[in-house]
Amino acid sequence: MLQVNDVHAGYGNLKILRGVDMSISDGGIVTLLGGNGTGKSTLLKAISGLIPLMKGQITFDGVDISNLKPHERVRLGIVQVTQAKEAYPAMSVEENLVLGAYTRKDREATKADLERVYDFFPVLRERRKQMSGTLSGGEVQMLVIGRGMMAKPKMLMLDEPSAALAPKVVLEIFANINRIAKSGVTILVVEQNVRMALILAQYGYIIRDGIILIEGIADKLIKDPSVKESFLGGSVADVSRGLNNK
Amino acid sequence: MGFDLNSFLAFIIFGVTIGVVYGIVALGISLIYSGLDIVHFAHGEMYMFGAFFGLVLADNVGLPYPVALVGAMIITAIVGMSVERVFYRRLTRAGGGYTVAGMGMIICGFGMSVAMVNVAYFIWGAEAEPFRANLDYIPRLQFPGDIEVPESYVLTAIISVILMIGLHYFLRYTKPGLAVRAVAHNKDIAYLMGINVPLMISLIFGVACALAAAAGVLIGPMQSVQVEMGYLMLMKAFAAAVVGGFGSLPGAIIGGIMVGVFENLGAAYISASHKDIYAFLLLILVLMVKPSGLFGVEAKVKA
Ligand SMILES: Nc1ncnc2c1ncn2[C@@H]1O[C@H](COP(=O)(O)OP(=O)(O)O)[C@@H](O)[C@H]1O
Ligand SMILES: [Mg+2]
Repeated sequence: MLQVNDVHAGYGNLKILRGVDMSISDGGIVTLLGGNGTGKSTLLKAISGLIPLMKGQITFDGVDISNLKPHERVRLGIVQVTQAKEAYPAMSVEENLVLGAYTRKDREATKADLERVYDFFPVLRERRKQMSGTLSGGEVQMLVIGRGMMAKPKMLMLDEPSAALAPKVVLEIFANINRIAKSGVTILVVEQNVRMALILAQYGYIIRDGIILIEGIADKLIKDPSVKESFLGGSVADVSRGLNNK
Repeated sequence: MGFDLNSFLAFIIFGVTIGVVYGIVALGISLIYSGLDIVHFAHGEMYMFGAFFGLVLADNVGLPYPVALVGAMIITAIVGMSVERVFYRRLTRAGGGYTVAGMGMIICGFGMSVAMVNVAYFIWGAEAEPFRANLDYIPRLQFPGDIEVPESYVLTAIISVILMIGLHYFLRYTKPGLAVRAVAHNKDIAYLMGINVPLMISLIFGVACALAAAAGVLIGPMQSVQVEMGYLMLMKAFAAAVVGGFGSLPGAIIGGIMVGVFENLGAAYISASHKDIYAFLLLILVLMVKPSGLFGVEAKVKA
């Protein structure tokens, strides 16, 4: 589905990604892991088109998208939810969700998807008339994921959806990411929470200093000693239980 | 001279009417500021061009005044969008606000202002031209106590209200309006919603210039139309935008009305020969009390 070939990208003259290769096939959850400032968000921005490529190529479903503008990539089904957790604070929850479906013309299906987002995240239904500026951090994260769902993505990229959230909320969000994937959307999720991410995902990439260091099946990575070193908290049992509840 | 309540009310009414026009121009400046992160210094010239286009369409071509108004809005919108696309886009893409490109943008706006004034001199000359609008079908308003409001003021009030309601409806209830608000708040996120951000920026610019043109066509019949008219309007609209809180749309209108009323009262009760100073006096007073302006809060766009 997504091919990233020797991608170099950064900000102005500052090169962050130094030859990234990635190949994501249809369906399932892929996680992108790595320490702070290693270029995870930069890679997502290069895929969504927010920053231009300095070198290399990205194809999606066989189409070269390297030179497409972000809004054109959204139309092809590539949707990114940024790390900043930015909803539009002066718009209601529902307006934010409707905005997520901006490119869509299929009104009935869009309405059905709105209901689906509310089923996934019931708290959003409760707050749908509320300005999104009044939401808590966890609720905003749910809103921006829901807004991403509204675009009817083929591939949804999530940038650290668990950051700065309470463990209970994280479990709820991870469970819903799982549900979204089960509905046929390919997920690329950036995480700092390595253990949880590798339990959630089927495949993982580990990035360091702008290049992919290791990649492989998640179950293997989780046992890999070099990966284990960077593990932080969160027990496998807790996470598995949380995910299975949904 | 004793205090006469009737003439006091008359000053207020005229002040509000003129003030709403300031507000409409300020609205455009605020829209551009929230959408493009630039302060558009050539906006007074968009107003001046709009007034000339209206005058040509109404007096030379002979179109009915309302048609000339709409025509001038459309032509000015096209002029504005072309200016933005050709001259500003490169700089705004490099970032507005406090960046070096943002500084360049300010200079660029000033330069555009001078250029447009000279183009206008070339086309229309230095003479002030009367704008003879046939407004016989508009009733004069008669208020108790001998206050008579002329047609052009009545019309201005009506059209201004229509424009404000129209803009509000557009931003609140239409899909492009939602997109404009999204772009104004955060361009990256708007892009990721699948919004064609450059197109929306053109649209924002076009709407802002159309509003300035409307103001020009509305003021035309009250005063006259001349090449240098843009400068003073820009200053007053700025004062209005800042008083209301830069970037706030309701603030722009309220700020405009305050400037209009304040300057009319100042001219009436203090000194008429310094009429143009009062806007800035008000500006300083408001900023001393509330530096962010009356409706200026942290969030940038409020529709
Ligand atoms: N907008 C930007 N302009 C310049 N440098 C940036 C920008 N965003 C991120 N960087 C730099 O790029 C590097 C990688 O950042 P990022 O991809 O956000 O890392 P992370 O892996 O934590 O998501 C960091 O050193 C960061 O300082
Ligand atoms: Mg990041």
